[in-house]
Amino acid sequence: MFIQQVIGLIIIVCFIFRLFWQKRQNHINAAEFSFWLVFWVIAALAIIFLRQIDGLVRYLGFTASGINVLLYLGVALLFYFIFRLRIRLAKVEGEITKVVREIAINNKNYK
Amino acid sequence: MAKISIIIPAYNESASLRQVIKSIADADASWQIVAVDDCSTDNTAKLAREAGVVVLSHVINRGQGAALKTGTDYAIISEAEIIVHFDADGQFVASEIKDIIAPIIAGRADIVFGSRFLSKKSNVPWFKKRIILRLARLVNRIFLSVNLSDPQSGFRAFSRAAAEKLNWRQDRMAHCSEIMHLAFKNKLRAQEAPVTIIYRDFGQKFLGGVKILEEFFLGLFTK
Repeated sequence: MFIQQVIGLIIIVCFIFRLFWQKRQNHINAAEFSFWLVFWVIAALAIIFLRQIDGLVRYLGFTASGINVLLYLGVALLFYFIFRLRIRLAKVEGEITKVVREIAINNKNYK
Repeated sequence: MAKISIIIPAYNESASLRQVIKSIADADASWQIVAVDDCSTDNTAKLAREAGVVVLSHVINRGQGAALKTGTDYAIISEAEIIVHFDADGQFVASEIKDIIAPIIAGRADIVFGSRFLSKKSNVPWFKKRIILRLARLVNRIFLSVNLSDPQSGFRAFSRAAAEKLNWRQDRMAHCSEIMHLAFKNKLRAQEAPVTIIYRDFGQKFLGGVKILEEFFLGLFTK
């Protein structure tokens, strides 16, 4: 195992400890906890089995190394999450508008 | 006689609102004027109240599209038979409201869009006319199946039945394209009427057009 892999695993373990602490303090709900736990476990597995991922990537015909492919996938995933966030934000904005409209119509003002 | 509601969305329009309301009332005193104050920071709402029109106030700024929808919903509730959208900045000519509602009163159209590019002369800035609005027209044709001479007309009128079908959700500037798209999608009988636009500033800029596209694209995923 490379030193970089060990450092990566230590960082992930820190994040997992923090996750358990956040759950105990009720800062995050069960669904969020599960999502991030699965996320960090997959990340740890990816680091541990980096050599095998390299092999898989070569087998699939990619010229980049396993870590590069993981990076590309990570960026793609981030774009997807930002997009989801934008959609959720747009929905919330729409709901706010409905409330504002209701208030405006119910409080119409004549001189 | 059909009850006609004129909806004026207003955000910080104290400089022009009083004159706009007066010009509409002078054109026909029987029309109901509804000013929707979109949480202005100046005395727009106060001026509208003093002018004796119906004032609806947004407690948070929600954008022109949202203000128009608020006014339109109110007009439907108050049993208006024809609804007109009219800007508060003095760019439209109140005497042309009669021209824009005429095809609806005659039963020839469900919705009428004002157009800067028919017979009347508007002092549209060159870059806007030749580049931005041409691009907007192309986008409307390709992506929204809308084929109108003026792709961003804010001066429009529609019947009550049409208003009930035009449930636009774009709160900001993309409402213009969405209303056109919904009119065509719902197979409303749409017409254009020549109108005069008096330009006081450049209005929607190129980046504004990009923002409209972005808002419209996101809107496709928020049904």
